[in-house]
Amino acid sequence: MAEIIPLSPAGDSDAKEPYKEGSCKLHPQTMCPAFGALRVLSRIEGAQPAMVTDTGCLYGLTFVTHFYAARKSIIAPQLGTAELSSGKVQEAANAAIAEAAKEQNVSVIPVISLCVAETAGLAEELLPTEVDGKPVVLVRVPAYAIHSHPEAKDIALAAVMRRFVDGASEQEPRTLALLGEVFPADPLMIDGVLRKMGGRVITTLPGRHVNELKLAGQAAAVAALHPFYRETVGVLRERGVGVVTGAPIGVEGSAAWIRAVGAALDIDDDIVERVADEEVAAARGFLSTQPLKGATILISGYEGNEMLYARLLIEGGAHVPYVSTSIGQSMLTAADEAWLKSHGCEAVVYRKAIEDDKAAMEHWTFDLVIGTTTLAAHAKELGIPSVYYTNMLSVRPLFLAGGMIASLSFVRELLGRKPLYERMLEFFS
Amino acid sequence: MAITLIRDISDTSSYWGASWVFGCFPDVHIICDAPIGCYNLLGMAVTDYTDALPHMANLTPTSIREEDVITGTAKALKRTIDDLRSLGSLDGKRLIVLSTAESEMISADHTKYVAQLDPEARFFWSQSLEQDEWQGRDRALLFAWEEYGKPFVAPDAPPKAANLVNIIGPSLGCFNAPADLHELKRLVAGVGGELNLVYPYAGSIAGTPQLADAAANVVLYREFGEGLAQALGRPYLFAPFGVFGTTTFLRELGALLGTPAAQVEAFISSEKKTTLQPVWDLWRGPQSDWFATVDCAIVGGRSYVEGLRQFLGEELGMKVAWSSGRPRREDEPDNIEIRKRLHAKAPAFVFGSINEKIYLSEANAKGSHFIASTFPGPVVRRTTGTPFMGYAGAANIMQELVNRFYDMVFNFLPVELVRGQGTGERGQAGPPQPAAAAAPDRSSETMAWSVAATNRLTAAIEQVPFLARISASRSLRLAAEQAARARGDTEVSLEMIEAAIAHGA
Repeated sequence: MAEIIPLSPAGDSDAKEPYKEGSCKLHPQTMCPAFGALRVLSRIEGAQPAMVTDTGCLYGLTFVTHFYAARKSIIAPQLGTAELSSGKVQEAANAAIAEAAKEQNVSVIPVISLCVAETAGLAEELLPTEVDGKPVVLVRVPAYAIHSHPEAKDIALAAVMRRFVDGASEQEPRTLALLGEVFPADPLMIDGVLRKMGGRVITTLPGRHVNELKLAGQAAAVAALHPFYRETVGVLRERGVGVVTGAPIGVEGSAAWIRAVGAALDIDDDIVERVADEEVAAARGFLSTQPLKGATILISGYEGNEMLYARLLIEGGAHVPYVSTSIGQSMLTAADEAWLKSHGCEAVVYRKAIEDDKAAMEHWTFDLVIGTTTLAAHAKELGIPSVYYTNMLSVRPLFLAGGMIASLSFVRELLGRKPLYERMLEFFS
Repeated sequence: MAITLIRDISDTSSYWGASWVFGCFPDVHIICDAPIGCYNLLGMAVTDYTDALPHMANLTPTSIREEDVITGTAKALKRTIDDLRSLGSLDGKRLIVLSTAESEMISADHTKYVAQLDPEARFFWSQSLEQDEWQGRDRALLFAWEEYGKPFVAPDAPPKAANLVNIIGPSLGCFNAPADLHELKRLVAGVGGELNLVYPYAGSIAGTPQLADAAANVVLYREFGEGLAQALGRPYLFAPFGVFGTTTFLRELGALLGTPAAQVEAFISSEKKTTLQPVWDLWRGPQSDWFATVDCAIVGGRSYVEGLRQFLGEELGMKVAWSSGRPRREDEPDNIEIRKRLHAKAPAFVFGSINEKIYLSEANAKGSHFIASTFPGPVVRRTTGTPFMGYAGAANIMQELVNRFYDMVFNFLPVELVRGQGTGERGQAGPPQPAAAAAPDRSSETMAWSVAATNRLTAAIEQVPFLARISASRSLRLAAEQAARARGDTEVSLEMIEAAIAHGA
């Protein structure tokens, strides 16, 4: 790694008290956890969700689902005091399922059970498993028990995988299923690298079609690109699918990942080494300029893949002392956290609240904040260049040398925008 | 008890409605007794898409966890209040604790507990499991008056001045409120009124007693706010729509304020030459003829539905195919029925929410124009230039509709696609290729149609909005003929036209 020379004023990053998390966690930063489930389920072709919940919850979740998941009409039963006090939750769920089953081309009816229904008690054994041959799958995602929306994606995906994954057919050698919502070009780039090694990407989950869920069962291995698909990985592991954790992120991450995939797919070592070397060479060429050198950047998102992004920035030369995410710590997050801690990152905060992020803003001086909407707004109020993490991540590739170049080039451009942020602040303050 | 089904819910719960009212007050902090999702969706997500606020800064959740569902939320509430105090977030603020569907589900009524923790704080039982956002807003406005206003006002205190006017209603989550409010302010001033409070939008909880200073109230929406106006005991009017509706309003308000009739008429006359001049010009022009040839459907708040029915239907003579207001009346279509109607036959103009927009997309109703006129749905309406109410609203809507007509015409005109140079495909610029030019286009030959096919085409065209018919008949005809030719047929059969219709040609 290159030596880090922060842009921040001299003396600011002198040795001082270590960072302490916010004194309280009043405002947790995550989308409503249940949205993760709707995001995954409503995008499956022919899926007709039936939501079992109160009207306020229904309004908020359908609002965001219609905005950024799918233009899909959603059915629900009226569930108010009258229905709840007379024990009609089960009947209500069944009525919504029956209505959902009337739609054209139904592939699956996910029954999404939320806080109020879970509190009242919705019994799985009293729900139909199918209506007129259309599969019904119960997905329980009460926000009080699941603490972030990435983790609800996992719960939802695991629920439909259990129902649809093809356990009977044989595994196809040298095929890899990708797991994680990624930019559409990313699977193509990964597939290109795999083909050089004699393998291929069989499907990318969470898919847009039930058949993609089935196909995943035929993969020789699954690559969990994002570190919160614990249950889904478990479902595939039970069926004998090998598991590769981590992602092809940056130079070191890509090389390690290619080797891990090579081993999982039983590909000849020499070929794997050659391909890994090619990727390393392509990325190193770009990194030799250390495009982000001298910049101190804060990463705070609620998508669950923030550590990947932080790794990329650090390899690009940035100082990233603080990374926070909405997901919990697990075996899947361990490798990235260790890598970050050994590359100048002082704090990785899980299940963060805005108070943690604001404490970080006071502790370090940042040249760029890539944060949640609330944090990005706070940073803009201070005249610091900042962007919403999810917007940054969702619009360009991330993986391998190609993704690295696209992402780092954009971040570098953002760093040059400080005068715009300062001018706005000066005018409006 | 039969189960009622909801499709794509249109009205949210009273917890949301009450929060959108209390959230307007800079000197209030709200704690919602809620799981993180209820906080996030309201405070961080949806209000950003309805009001363009990055987040609601004065809203904090108790973040109900699994253990709280079992043992109650008192501990979580106490911790939240303590933390807010330690951060200084409650300094100079009144605390209001709101119940939500989940806390009501486990009967977490904290009326006494809140009073014990902070005698100045109040607990608001949202009744989120049975009341909608309109009831929630209505009750929140009344609650604010009864708790923070009325006790500080002498009974029977007269208005401070005869021409002081409150505008009641505009709050967070109200579609287009800044533009409609701006127009109402202009109208009130026009007939000699002086603005007292805009409540709750530009008010404060401390300023609530001043509501009593006004001589009259304008209630911006029919769907909520009337309760507060009645409690204030002064005359009130609802905000007006259309040319004639607004004129009546101005005369009534002028009379209430004791403004001389001549002054009111002078304002109306000057408006005809300014704000309303485009309405008169468009009415005299060919544009207004179109209004008689098209139909529309209207989905929106009660005020918008009644106002648009009156302006578009009664004043301009446009056919209103159907409408559905909020809160919905029994005789109006619910979303299940609205979806069916839009799939069967989409009117030329559909005023509505993202729900109607989705139904139109599902039906591939390209000939229909969607105009956002209510939530849900992400749409920024923060400028003052897009009113629906008042004279400016009449002019704005008329202008908007005419521009949509122009768009419709533009989209019908023939166009020849030009491929860009950078796409890697052969550029189409320059003179036509001789080979292509030499062979006469077979589609120019007249093809025979069976009687059944012709009848089917006519029936299909009947379902298309008037202005789009020429274009639709042409594209359906070409698609059917092309399919027939491809099969080597000499006549277009019923099967061919059915296929073209199904394909959405």
